[in-house]
Amino acid sequence: MSGYNIVGQRVPKLDAAQKAMGRAEYIQDVKLPGMLYGKILYSKYAHAKITAMDISRALALPGVHAVLTGKDIPPKMRMGFYKDNPPLKADKVCCFRDEVAAVAAVSEQVAKKAVSLIEVEYEVLPAVFDPEAAMEKDATLVHEAHKTNVLKLPWKLHYGDVEAAEKDSAFVVEDRFTTTWVTHCCLSTSGAVALFDASDNLTVYSNTQIPSLAQKDFLETLGAMGLKGKRVRVIKPVIGGGFGSKLDTYAYEHIAILLAHKCRKPVKILFDRKEEFEATSTRQPTVIYIRQGCDKEGHLTFRDIRMVLDNGGRTSWGATTPSVMMMPITSLYRVPNVRYNAKCVYTNNTYSQAMRGYGNPQATFAIESCMDMLAQKAGIDPVAFRRINQNEPGDETPQGFKITSCGLAQCIDAVEKELTQGSPLEDGEGIGYASLIHVGGGARIYKSDGCGAILKMDDYGRVDIFTGGTDMGQGLDNMIAQIVAEELGLLAEDINVVHSDTDVCPWDVGAHASRSTFVAGNAALGAARRAKQTLLAFGAKLFEVAPEDLVMENRTVSVKNDPEKTMPVDKLLRKAHFSPGGTMLMADYFYDPPNENMGKDFRCNLSVTYSFGVHGVRVHVDKETGKVLVKNYVAAHDVGRAINPMLLEGQVYGGVIMGLGYALSEEVMIKDGQIKNPNFRDYKLFTAKDAVPIMAPVIETHDPDGPFGAKGIGEPGCVPTAPAVANAIYNAVGVRIKDLPITPEKVLAAIQEQSKGS
Amino acid sequence: MKPFTLLTPATVEEAVAMFGQHKETARYMAGGTDVIVKVKEGWMGPDYLINLKQIPGLDELHKNENTGELTIGSLVTHAMLEQSLLIRNEYPIIYDAVSNIGSLQVRNMGTIGGNLINAVPSADGAIPLIALDGTALLAGPAGERSVPVKDLFVKPYETVLTPGEILRKITIPAQAKRTGSAYIKFGRRAAMELPLIGIGVLLVVDEDLVTCTRARICLGVAGPTPRRAQKAEDLLEGKPVTATLLTEAGTLAAEESQVRDSVRGQAWHRKEMIRVQVRRMGIKCLDIINQKAQQTGRQV
Ligand SMILES: Cc1cc2nc3c(=O)[nH]c(=O)nc-3n(C[C@H](O)[C@H](O)[C@H](O)COP(=O)(O)OP(=O)(O)OC[C@H]3O[C@@H](n4cnc5c(N)ncnc54)[C@H](O)[C@@H]3O)c2cc1C
Repeated sequence: MSGYNIVGQRVPKLDAAQKAMGRAEYIQDVKLPGMLYGKILYSKYAHAKITAMDISRALALPGVHAVLTGKDIPPKMRMGFYKDNPPLKADKVCCFRDEVAAVAAVSEQVAKKAVSLIEVEYEVLPAVFDPEAAMEKDATLVHEAHKTNVLKLPWKLHYGDVEAAEKDSAFVVEDRFTTTWVTHCCLSTSGAVALFDASDNLTVYSNTQIPSLAQKDFLETLGAMGLKGKRVRVIKPVIGGGFGSKLDTYAYEHIAILLAHKCRKPVKILFDRKEEFEATSTRQPTVIYIRQGCDKEGHLTFRDIRMVLDNGGRTSWGATTPSVMMMPITSLYRVPNVRYNAKCVYTNNTYSQAMRGYGNPQATFAIESCMDMLAQKAGIDPVAFRRINQNEPGDETPQGFKITSCGLAQCIDAVEKELTQGSPLEDGEGIGYASLIHVGGGARIYKSDGCGAILKMDDYGRVDIFTGGTDMGQGLDNMIAQIVAEELGLLAEDINVVHSDTDVCPWDVGAHASRSTFVAGNAALGAARRAKQTLLAFGAKLFEVAPEDLVMENRTVSVKNDPEKTMPVDKLLRKAHFSPGGTMLMADYFYDPPNENMGKDFRCNLSVTYSFGVHGVRVHVDKETGKVLVKNYVAAHDVGRAINPMLLEGQVYGGVIMGLGYALSEEVMIKDGQIKNPNFRDYKLFTAKDAVPIMAPVIETHDPDGPFGAKGIGEPGCVPTAPAVANAIYNAVGVRIKDLPITPEKVLAAIQEQSKGS
Repeated sequence: MKPFTLLTPATVEEAVAMFGQHKETARYMAGGTDVIVKVKEGWMGPDYLINLKQIPGLDELHKNENTGELTIGSLVTHAMLEQSLLIRNEYPIIYDAVSNIGSLQVRNMGTIGGNLINAVPSADGAIPLIALDGTALLAGPAGERSVPVKDLFVKPYETVLTPGEILRKITIPAQAKRTGSAYIKFGRRAAMELPLIGIGVLLVVDEDLVTCTRARICLGVAGPTPRRAQKAEDLLEGKPVTATLLTEAGTLAAEESQVRDSVRGQAWHRKEMIRVQVRRMGIKCLDIINQKAQQTGRQV
């Protein structure tokens, strides 16, 4: 028994019925009076100079209100942290995805037609598509002014002494792993509506995961437009999937703002599915060179990783994923000597963003595949090898991560127990394991890792809580409701969670780093505690007892050990409100976890706590076709505490399926910079029919800093999936696939290669 | 999407007349799962869509108990075939093919006629009808005519139908005793998948239950149209069917195929799959035949 009433309950997602009935309002549904429709014209080439542009035919089309080109972009307007991306490109294009012009018109149809009437002349330039080739001396430059294709980013660390450790190692393995582009596949495509009021204050409806930082980006845009001092309000409709895709602001949002200002009407830009595939950012592709060693007993001695990341033609957050890759590289298992060097390299391909796990799945694929290879070389069972090296509570990792609660050992036990229980392995079957570490209490990647909460109670005992956090389907609304209800002795349905409007909600750094339950949850808990204090003080006066003698439970306030003295919360609230000098109950709280920014050599305690997990999978490999069938999947996670086991399982199931797609089938196929499969027919997202049996044992380690002991679980579910599958395939048929996705072609080719050799 | 006018004739004759009036600006539509996608994507832009769905009788599905002939109306949906016990028990190759088309929603809307006339190399519905020696009955401005299903296809998206012709139905002659048939769509996903390769095998054997008297090996995505692998069929006919012989037949079928590299799969792997799956489907056919023989044996 947890001793809690609401925390730990399987309360269905608060807006589940609304969504199931089709009543939830997404960006698709937003329609404002007088609204115009915007459309974007993209580049025809991977790399070219724009020599001339004629917009006269588009402008002449009846129904067209405005046409913008790169020339209309205020000079200082640049998107992305590397500031290499104007919303419309004036002089040259660096990838097919580059926006060159945009139109606002009375309907989508007219806008589409107008876009087709814009004439652009290009002078095609030589292009470079392979990041390793792009690093060579006389490679074509993607951005001439940048002088080199290698981005000036500091991703380099060396803790301990890798070379000395290698000399002392009994066993060393090394290999090269590659991962490719995959994309988020949000069911609700991207879109935004921008409008200005009479005094040039801006409102943007956008399905963003970062309302406060988006507000900041849009304020910068206003500044560049000469509208300094004007206000920005960001409103989020219901978000149909985030997975990291909405952690940056994009050209379409800034273009909608520019068009709205030019037309003095609301302008909506909504992506169709093809555009969603072609013009949103992917997971960062990587080339990974790894060396790892251990001593005779199997203790890891060093880990040495060199990485080349295809940055594409522009820069979004994908180029910062090495900062998160440092986490598994330095801290997954106890490894005393670590070196890491990553280079992000411009090419004329598409560019990347955050995607669930933020680099962790790529790094973990290499590390955990290599762990099995090293275990084999050392003659140690792969599970035993992991136990020898497992992280423990109280550890401080080479990067300076202070591990507090840590259930990695229990996770290994749980997965092994479940996977070895079934029928004996048949021919072609195998089992594979892989572990994960991820931030569990937010991560200080910005100046603040905080989140605010404002709480008020009405005369009926109900709560409105305004959180900075974002629900994008993952269930933050439930987390907040259940946490607040628990603290105030109410029911989840008494709590109205407002998370959709920067005019009323406080600041938050964004829905990333699996941080929302932990950080927004702690903020809500803080506000609820303050409200409770005030309420109990009032109750104490009324009952003439000390506040400590009161309990709040089942919507009532009562005196402990005196069942006579009890009052429903709503009555108490009315008494407070309607007495002379009355008061309404309001409270606020801002929680910023004691997480540290990365220091000069990246040493820090990035998160106040870390989440752990182990995945194990049993596969069957068809040796004649190369097809891999997942027979059974076990994903155990140390989550601190399950605030809502049902939503937690949902996160794990979803993560595993996403991870299996990454492992086995998903791939944005890009040839000469162009996406060949921008549709669900050829982009092999798993379907409901491809779902596999998944068990999700929950390990509760009751984290001292988490709200009711909880840690983050948003991303971990898809982190170790690919290496677990790769290891299982090796266990089954003895071939190791080092390049994702592990398609039947690759498996069969490897099997045939193997039988040729023997 | 370009707007169009929807016309809804009540008879085949009326439909043909409507087409005669609007000519190339009109297009027939059955379930619309191919046509509407193309209109939406801008690959075609008809002014008129002639909706065949309200024409009575085009969705007949029955077997003539006297002649043994099976009739499948062009408007029969994949779901109707999938749910029919007759199809499941007596025409497993049709069941195998239609039950894995798209998704439930697509199977509820999409018709067998639309699948044939859309004429893509990957048409799952076409393979079994070729293997079963089906005949298509066409009705057009110049009257009716019959064409074997195997001869319907010219190239991707093109059939032998002349402008205005409608596919009324497909008939399948009585199946010989001791027939087994099976189809596999080899792809990466379990649903919403176009096959990397589609393989249908039909075998008829002699009373000894091993000597092949008739073989049909039909391939999807192995060339510009769904097609038979006749050299492989010839190899099997007259010989006792073994796994080794089936592998040889598969190898021949792979050799005569014209598989290609595409975003969906590589040619060498498709060839391998033909080799392997011809054998596997052949063995499935034999299993079916043996099972049936045992059942009849028991009845006697
Ligand atoms: C999501 C999705 C998944 C799919 N998956 C598969 C799959 O797995 N396998 C597969 O084979 N197909 C698949 N398809 C394609 C399609 O569903 C099938 O080909 C279907 O059988 C087409 O039938 P329909 O009735 O919808 O054809 P329609 O779209 O109505 O018509 C298709 C073509 O046939 C013509 N036509 C239709 N009926 C007649 C007639 N009686 N006489 C003359 N001409 C006619 C039309 O003019 C048109 O050219 C899929 C489609 C979608 C959208």
